Amino acid sequence: MKKTSSIEPKNLTAQLHYRGEGNPPSTHPSTAVSNCYPGLEMDFRNVWKHVFEGIELLEYSNLVIGVDPGANEKIQRLISTGIQYELISVDGIPMTAPVTGPFRHAPEMIHDTMALEWSNALAEVLPKAGQFVLCKFQNSNNLREIISMELKVCHFFDVDLNRNGKVVNQRVVIAREMASPGDLTQSLCSPWQNDYRECDCFYWAASRPDFVNVEPGKDGKSKGNNWMQKDRTGTADKKYISDAEDGVRGNPVLVSYQDLFAAWEENLRYIIAGKDVPLNNPLKKVKTGVKKKSK
Amino acid sequence: MAIHDIHEIRILPAFAIARLGSSPEPMDNYDWEIPDPVGFRKLVPADTFYIDPKTGKILSRKKPDEVNFRDSKNRIKPISPFLEAWANFKKNGPLVPLTQKHLNDLGLTPSAIKWRVQLGNNKAFRRTKDPADKILADTGFYSDFIRKPLLGRCDNFLKGKKISFGFGQYIRPTPKFPEIRYRFTPARGYVYGPAPTKDQEKSNRFRNVLKDVVYDTHLGHWKGYQDLDSDPTTTAPASIFANSGSDPVKSLGYLDDECDGILELELQLKTKTLKAFARIVAGPPTFAPDGAPVRTVGDELEQALLGILLNEKVNRADIENILRRAMETVRLMNTTLMNHSVGMAWADSSQFGRTSQPIMDPNVVDNLAIVSRHEQVLLALESGSLAWFSRLLRHYNEVGDLTDEGRRKMPALMRGADGSHLALTRRMVQKILEAADLFQQHKHIVPGRKTKRSQ
Repeated sequence: MKKTSSIEPKNLTAQLHYRGEGNPPSTHPSTAVSNCYPGLEMDFRNVWKHVFEGIELLEYSNLVIGVDPGANEKIQRLISTGIQYELISVDGIPMTAPVTGPFRHAPEMIHDTMALEWSNALAEVLPKAGQFVLCKFQNSNNLREIISMELKVCHFFDVDLNRNGKVVNQRVVIAREMASPGDLTQSLCSPWQNDYRECDCFYWAASRPDFVNVEPGKDGKSKGNNWMQKDRTGTADKKYISDAEDGVRGNPVLVSYQDLFAAWEENLRYIIAGKDVPLNNPLKKVKTGVKKKSK
Repeated sequence: MAIHDIHEIRILPAFAIARLGSSPEPMDNYDWEIPDPVGFRKLVPADTFYIDPKTGKILSRKKPDEVNFRDSKNRIKPISPFLEAWANFKKNGPLVPLTQKHLNDLGLTPSAIKWRVQLGNNKAFRRTKDPADKILADTGFYSDFIRKPLLGRCDNFLKGKKISFGFGQYIRPTPKFPEIRYRFTPARGYVYGPAPTKDQEKSNRFRNVLKDVVYDTHLGHWKGYQDLDSDPTTTAPASIFANSGSDPVKSLGYLDDECDGILELELQLKTKTLKAFARIVAGPPTFAPDGAPVRTVGDELEQALLGILLNEKVNRADIENILRRAMETVRLMNTTLMNHSVGMAWADSSQFGRTSQPIMDPNVVDNLAIVSRHEQVLLALESGSLAWFSRLLRHYNEVGDLTDEGRRKMPALMRGADGSHLALTRRMVQKILEAADLFQQHKHIVPGRKTKRSQ
């Protein structure tokens, strides 16, 4: 990476893309997954929870889960009555989308709605940071009851404001008010190793590989290993073994939760150019675990 | 030229990601090169700082002989980012790396810079909602150059117990390396928890897992916690914690040493105090380090900063980068399996009761065929393939379209942050649409960076 000697303070793009001297690519947010369900490095959905002043949203849906103690009476109503309210539109922009498709009982069709992810749904609202926008909330038990109120959009990035509230200086660091320490990782798996075994959802294959050592088989189709297979040294036609095809989770040919908790570094291999990277030395048992206290 | 004032300080990068590893050797620096437009990225050694752990001085800067993510004992080397102080010396002046000389010009030494790290692991708290389950570390402001342990404390821990989140170190400036910088080294990737029960102690399943017993089950309720169907505020997905495998799913009370938080800098001048902060996260390694995900936090930040519309002509390198990342994702995915019964094919049925069907025609979803399709698009941007690809893109408000046509849009077979089919950020989609439009008009787009490039 070429050394950067100066950056104009208003060149926010350059600051955002700056990686730092001595830092490899994987230190930059451009290598962290953001289709967070729940994510690997962080659950970025958490950054949107406090985007409107006075209320707290659930990270993955449009449900209001908290209000500031000092917020006005109308805002307090969003949680004080025990009724659940969902944010359905902001500044005239829908926060939900229709769900359609063939229902399992043909010929019925699915007629449903779903909450959209905040990042895309609020993309046109963020530039109005510091301004009030009309927010509509729907009673989740009585869809006819809509509460409308104007809420202030918070600044996503750290800014300096003048007396009139106008931005006079902006930085590219996410504002403190948007997330406290621990917030960005709070909804990830605990421990994180759990996620590497949790489900057959390999949407992050570029950093959490799934199908490795792939090559064309005799029939011309791909043959390869599941990254979770313990033994993938065989010279015969490779076979991808999955929980889904070979029974319940706990298939002994696959790395287990316990294997990961106890020795994830031994059990997870680096994949470069699609293939296993050999270990530097033959494996030795790594001692982990709590020592028993002698009585 | 001597400076007389500092107007502002910023920490760059503003958001740095550390990656766990138990090796005492931090990972060397490396770069990406792309020698083949549809091949794998090549990892090449890059200038690496070698630090004396005791003095905090940079001993040397050199390229290592090779890129190796493990040490001689196969332990994974932690990715330990540097964060740099940048300053401008008058309003709207250019930001430059702040150095010891700048401080000397103002009659100050590097010790005038004070650092503070605040980190948290709120995973147990997110579930139990008990504030006493927050694990928090705070160094307070300090200015020495020794390694500062980042110790996570929690009210529900056994007396004296802590979780290490790694350490921070203010790098001592020297005449050869005078810049003001800080290094965050993450934890080793250990699992912690409560004392096992007598039954658990007998079982192989529970042996050799915990680094230390830290959690006090008399004080907190993380062990035994369960996500209730009646609670609309559980995580999504729910019940994603170590559990005994029983029904209902009950937490074993395990904790890890991931964290996120804030690195803060303070500099007291004669008439003012300058402050700056950056965000840091410690997550797992990227196990396929020669690729990048199709949609990243970098894309989210760019959209939040610059909006969904492009103010300048679309950049060819950006388009190639998006398509490359899509290719790198599907290249390591069992697309045949993901096309039916698992992944989104399964989610559509379980979430919305959709009739169970493969997403694509099973005859065309073999991994090699899908990768080949991506390669063709990438190689022949101008030929109309990008226009074809752009018509297939899923828009952000179409993620609930579970018709056959809707499910086959791109990116396919992947889940988005809303739990339904993945859409790219609107800014990414806009870039592709604009590029496709320009190609259809037989106009050139800005070439951007060359194919062989860093980052």
